Amino acid sequence: MQTTPATTDTQADDLRRAAIDKSVKGPVLFLFLNGAFWLMASTILGVLAAIKQFAPEFLGACSVLQYGRLQPTHVNALVYGWGVQAALGAMLWIMARRTGQELKSGKSILFTAAIFWNIAVTLGLLGILLGQSTSMEWLEMPAFVWPVMLASFLAFAWPLARMFGRAFRPDGFMVSTWYVLGACFWFPWVFITANVALHCLPGLGAIGAGINAWYVHALILLFFAPVAIGAAYYFIPKITGQPIASAQLAKLGFWLLAVLGGWTGMQHFMGGPLPAWMVAVGAAAAVLLLIPVGVVGLNHHLTTLGKHSLVASSPTLRFVFFGSLFYPVSGVILALISNFSTGATLQFTQAWYGFQMVAVYGFFSMTLFGAIYYIVPRLSGCEWLSVRLIRNHFWFSVYGTATIVVTSLVAGVQQGADLNHPEMWDQDFSQLALNLRPYIVARALAWGLITWSNFWFLIHLMLMVAGLGRRSSAPTLLAHDHEDEALPNAAHA
Amino acid sequence: MTQFRTFILALTASFGLPWLCLIVVPAVKYQALSPLPYDKEADGMDGYYPPAPINRQGQLVYAREGCAQCHTQMIRPPQIALDGWRKGWGQDQEGRPPEPVRSNELRDYHGEKFAFLGIQRSGPDLANYGWRVADRNAVHQKLFAPRSIHDWSTMPPLRHLYTVRLAQGQPSEKALKLTGKHAPKPGYEVVPTEDADALVDYLLSLKKDYPIPGRAAAMAAAAK
Repeated sequence: MQTTPATTDTQADDLRRAAIDKSVKGPVLFLFLNGAFWLMASTILGVLAAIKQFAPEFLGACSVLQYGRLQPTHVNALVYGWGVQAALGAMLWIMARRTGQELKSGKSILFTAAIFWNIAVTLGLLGILLGQSTSMEWLEMPAFVWPVMLASFLAFAWPLARMFGRAFRPDGFMVSTWYVLGACFWFPWVFITANVALHCLPGLGAIGAGINAWYVHALILLFFAPVAIGAAYYFIPKITGQPIASAQLAKLGFWLLAVLGGWTGMQHFMGGPLPAWMVAVGAAAAVLLLIPVGVVGLNHHLTTLGKHSLVASSPTLRFVFFGSLFYPVSGVILALISNFSTGATLQFTQAWYGFQMVAVYGFFSMTLFGAIYYIVPRLSGCEWLSVRLIRNHFWFSVYGTATIVVTSLVAGVQQGADLNHPEMWDQDFSQLALNLRPYIVARALAWGLITWSNFWFLIHLMLMVAGLGRRSSAPTLLAHDHEDEALPNAAHA
Repeated sequence: MTQFRTFILALTASFGLPWLCLIVVPAVKYQALSPLPYDKEADGMDGYYPPAPINRQGQLVYAREGCAQCHTQMIRPPQIALDGWRKGWGQDQEGRPPEPVRSNELRDYHGEKFAFLGIQRSGPDLANYGWRVADRNAVHQKLFAPRSIHDWSTMPPLRHLYTVRLAQGQPSEKALKLTGKHAPKPGYEVVPTEDADALVDYLLSLKKDYPIPGRAAAMAAAAK
């Protein structure tokens, strides 16, 4: 991974890297920028949805802004507008770099696909707001958008798989490309399955609800998680300058996730109408997933060991490090909401939202921010403008996300206890609504903090994409002056 | 290249197995599911379980307004939760029945395109809502102005499903009886649109605790 000291080799490597970066520049920046726009939209909608949840008359009783329409729009904007787009950008860059291959042709197809993805997401979200929502979780967008989204995704997945196939060699074990290829492979499969089952089949009743829950879990575990883990496996060794601690652990973590990821999901409706074995298998798989989660966490920990000072100085490592910390946290929360004892209490509560946010925001998005801080300067040819803006982005995101996750979980425990309290058998929901209120207020504030951080992130990113960044050969680091050589240069190649 | 092929095969196998077992086979088997006939002798009733398809038009309104964000339609068994003992969540509205309300089964949702089991339970469960309200006007009032019934309610008012119009001549039979600050301006009346009526039809049809053929008789026999 690291460049050799010989100058001619280094120069040749630098040229090769520059050529690769140049070949993917357009599509990657386009995806990141549009993703950041959707992220901004999603966080604003997050504030509104949280307020509407405790104050339904806020901004009037307008149909478009009801909680039942705002909340799915907020989540879908986060998942498809930001999540998948940012993931595709990072996947393309990491795959090209890691396999050492330029994007040969088809750039215009990638642009077209990215544009169509954005059109589909825009129409889909407008559809939800204007009263076309299907109310199937994470698939609320009207049915006509999914074939467009699928085609756009495949337009990206195909060149990625080609790069992987051409460079696959048994001696060079590349765990980050495994994860990226896995994401390319699992997303279409999961997406087609859920959409065909729920939109095209004549009607699946409660089985449909189970497939819906499976879809949400599969998208988190087999798309968002692999992209973020792949990015972490790429950037942590790159910046710390240490090889991945253990190839065995890396392989184990990958295959266990691949084997277990598809089984989980149906436990979401434990005690419900689904056949009991489906629920039991899902719960078992969700708890067993603690093993691959722990294995990957341990591996990242061992790789970072002794280099923690870099977390303070490198923006990329800082975001990736905290994102990777949230991976074990997500795993533990998944196990908590999935087993039959704590899960029964947390079922149908805010804890479910907490899990979605810790996985998609805390873990996936934070890691991807790190990737963006690394990738964009290499593509735009200029450095990030302001240390303060990066720091601002980091701390507001960390505090905001942590607040959302913690309050959602505690609110879930409270709500579950209220719902299952024997004394409450003949009570109405007034106590429940009252007890929930402070947590939702906290959530609205937390989304406000995150909106603030994302606003500056978006401005910063727009300036970078416009090429208005700092002209310098030294990267923007957090703790030191720009001239200070805190990092070996090779680490930032 | 063989290495690459092995890798792809391993990915396909590891994901294909859960995909087949959890999605494909249950989905195919579900297509063969049909309503069960009641036995006149044992069950004391005629017809089929579940009796009739739900009101799809109303369910579409339920879906597009995102009701499932806060309302579930699923009674859990007593081993897991106390849903079955909650007052008014089954046919018996007085509460403290000898048996808890039965938990829901796969067939309860037969004929529905998608069962809205729900995301959260910020509001009461609606699986057996049809038993809970006798009067459709009460449901309309709840939908139009939830806070006219409970001032603490966090339910969104679905006012766009209603028309506020000038009352001409005889007030409409359908007009909502609202008082206080929720009432329309004098001379005006609030009438439900077709969508609102469909939604109420759907809500009133929610009685998912039908007796299960064979089950009631067996339980009665066991109790003796």
